[in-house]
Amino acid sequence: MSNTEKLASKLREIVGEANVIEDPEKLKALAVDGVIPKVLVSPGTIDETSKVVAYANAEKLAVIPMGNGSKMALGGIPRKLDILLSTRRLNRYTDYDIANLTVGVECGVTLAEIQAKLAGEGRGYFIPLDPQHSQRATVGGIVATNDSGAKRFLYGACRDFILGMKAVFPNGDIVAAGGKAVKNVAGYDMTKLMIGSMGAVGMICEITFRITPKPDAEATLLFPFDGLKEAAGFLRKLLQSKFYPASLELLSAGMAAKLPATSALKGNFIAAVALDGIEEAVARLKKDLSEMGRQEGATDVVVLTADGHREFWIAYRDIADPLAKTHPNFISLKANFALSKVMEMVGAFETGFKEAGLDGALFCSAGNGILRAVLPLGDDLGAKTAAVVGLIGRLTAESVKNGGNLIVERAPKAIKEKVNVWGQTRSDVVVVRRLKERLDPAGILNPGRYVGGV
Amino acid sequence: MEKEKMIQELAKIVGKEDVMTSEMELQLYGYDASLNRGRPDCIVMPASTEEVSMVVKFARENRIPVVARGAGTNLSGGSSPTQGGIALLFTRMNRILEIDVENQRVVVEPGAITLDIKGAIGKYGYLYHPDPSSEKATTIAGNLGENAGGAHCFKYGVTSNHVLGAEVVLYDGEVIEIGGKSLDNPGFDLPGLLVGSEGTLGMVTKLTLRMMPKTEAVKTMLAIYDTIADGANTVSDIVKAGMIPTTLEMMDNLTIKAVEAAYHVGFPEDAASILLIELDGLKDGMERLTDEVVAICKKNNVREVRVAKNEAEREKIWAGRKGAFGAVGRLRPNYLVNDPTVPRTRLPEALAQVVEIGKKYNLPIANVFHAGDGNLHPLILFDERDKDELDRVHKAAFEIMKLCADMGGTISGEHGIGVEKLKGMPLIFSEKDIAAMRNVKLAFDPEDVYNPGKLLPVEKAA
Repeated sequence: MSNTEKLASKLREIVGEANVIEDPEKLKALAVDGVIPKVLVSPGTIDETSKVVAYANAEKLAVIPMGNGSKMALGGIPRKLDILLSTRRLNRYTDYDIANLTVGVECGVTLAEIQAKLAGEGRGYFIPLDPQHSQRATVGGIVATNDSGAKRFLYGACRDFILGMKAVFPNGDIVAAGGKAVKNVAGYDMTKLMIGSMGAVGMICEITFRITPKPDAEATLLFPFDGLKEAAGFLRKLLQSKFYPASLELLSAGMAAKLPATSALKGNFIAAVALDGIEEAVARLKKDLSEMGRQEGATDVVVLTADGHREFWIAYRDIADPLAKTHPNFISLKANFALSKVMEMVGAFETGFKEAGLDGALFCSAGNGILRAVLPLGDDLGAKTAAVVGLIGRLTAESVKNGGNLIVERAPKAIKEKVNVWGQTRSDVVVVRRLKERLDPAGILNPGRYVGGV
Repeated sequence: MEKEKMIQELAKIVGKEDVMTSEMELQLYGYDASLNRGRPDCIVMPASTEEVSMVVKFARENRIPVVARGAGTNLSGGSSPTQGGIALLFTRMNRILEIDVENQRVVVEPGAITLDIKGAIGKYGYLYHPDPSSEKATTIAGNLGENAGGAHCFKYGVTSNHVLGAEVVLYDGEVIEIGGKSLDNPGFDLPGLLVGSEGTLGMVTKLTLRMMPKTEAVKTMLAIYDTIADGANTVSDIVKAGMIPTTLEMMDNLTIKAVEAAYHVGFPEDAASILLIELDGLKDGMERLTDEVVAICKKNNVREVRVAKNEAEREKIWAGRKGAFGAVGRLRPNYLVNDPTVPRTRLPEALAQVVEIGKKYNLPIANVFHAGDGNLHPLILFDERDKDELDRVHKAAFEIMKLCADMGGTISGEHGIGVEKLKGMPLIFSEKDIAAMRNVKLAFDPEDVYNPGKLLPVEKAA
């Protein structure tokens, strides 16, 4: 029996015949940065997951977890990949307590499914997360990568509303952390360690969220601006006001062209502001912000409500998906920065695209200090590699200068090999390495994919 | 190491005046606001990150424990040097380094006092939201160590939601930056992990906090009830109506009487419970929301609702709440306060059982609680000199923790484990959960330099 057959047979013992795939053709399509897994396994319970991981640990086999695969391009090129572990059968609700505003789910459930379910409860509830890939992303993937969206400005990010978690650690231990209490300071806050950890020290299997009542009223205001200075200035003024909108976004013309609601607007930059709140407050904000926008130089104000509002933000979240499909060499970057540096960051990116001769587009969460850029490269990657690598280097330096860093969220292997996908190394990498060594001494979880190459 | 030699070496680092060794000082810095007593071998007051780093290096090389101390208001024994060593006192590192209005961050030293920070940023129209009742005295790094909460957490969260970055001295003296002014820096959320770590993972020498613009309008209400259940049900109904007040605070009759006796804020002494509600947001619709809250109170048999008409009335209501512990403290020589949490809907049940436990052990228990968060604060009143009574206090405290754990809650919402709740850890965590935490400790501090014997129960012999 070959090693792979032995592995598959052992895994079948744990998860059952139907849940292990070793067909080379199917596995080839699931390669992570070109590294093909030996086997795809889909455990049906956290116990089974624990057994699979414990076995991998004993045999020193590399495990990479996967939900719906929307973010498999994130991270460094894996050093090794034996077991691709699908979370799709981990799809149960473990807590459903609307009165206490908590919902617990296993990692393989999509956020879209939970939101639909919560919307139908009483007055309507939701998990205040609006990350990329609105329909496909599973909560496990969202939490492991700490993804977030525009409304983070008002509602916070995973670290602000995840109350508890269960994770399988590399030795197979099922570790529970936190609980369902908003205030909890019993022991270390292990949920924080897991959020955004990309499964480097444990595989997130179950998550308890604090849910939020749906706002009574919602709307979106779109403001086209001719100049970056005016657009950024307007958002900055809003950020420092008492208005607390739900989101403060800025789109480059290139990005605005890709969305139905903004493609017809005339302006080099579009500010998109979402409003959530009680009826009276949203009514006032519509009026006051429209006036304020015009005063600051907006050439128009478009108000979206009901379906128009909802559809705009779904399209906004999914903006990169069609590009990734049509451009095999699609690149996506995420930069973070200090809040006051919107103009510097957007300017640097726009200039960078131009100088590199690349067709880039960007959108920026002015309220969160996060900018995402997409580079839909064509087929001729070879000719562009040097330009792209140079650009990533310059933009990383620019982001660091503005108080943040730059992550390559997605790029062809040829690019990943030449850049640090996690940006400039920080002084805390020493602790990242120590935690990895202590919690995953055999280095079986996502080897090579996380910060510091761990 | 010989004590005299240790003191000499430390004096070389921080200066002779900033090493304290008198008997009185060793006693003073041996205890905190819990019942635990410890005793440091000396007290060291560093003035800079470099000095902290040098002290820590020295301590590690000589196997001397290092226990961080701020104002000593800790309620679980976390800042009591129970194994001797160096009490590292941060009173000299108390500056507000930078109020960065443009980036909405404030950078402070660990010994800065919470309320001082609020005062300083308040001038710019900004708020730092966590508000432990002891904020007049507490240091910000103490808040970080315990993940301090307060009375505005229902809407704005706890300390960990507002600490975005820090400078940290590791066990070997190395200085690193974690997090920062910007969100989502690559790598583990180390600020998230450090908050609530009770000084066992690293020494924080600088903190970056989020500050938020003050809201336009605030409404503060005081609802007075003839039963506890009516107050608790009001809380549930407000949440069910989709509102997220900043504050939903309750106190029981014993606390009401104590507060009234101490501060004369106008609480009716025969009320069974008082509920403090605060809403914030834009002024638009605020009156309507206030009316809705009043209607919900009425539906739940409220005796009277007082809506603060101005800032003076609001401050008076808050003074009663913020001073509750102090007021209750006047009733008996000592009190022990626990801070377990239950799912909010189970609060009435939990409180009824706390009353039963008080009866069972013949101890008066006053209750102040963050009702929105399901966070109880039973204050068990006693006289420490009565050994039998003290023994009953510990038994009652453990039973209260257990009942909350059994209801799906936790044993500590905001005061930490320290030494006082070590026994309670197995009520909510398995050996495997604790083993994972132990590995986190070992990754940060493999030689147990920082605050030994706290937060994690001793490993069972294999």
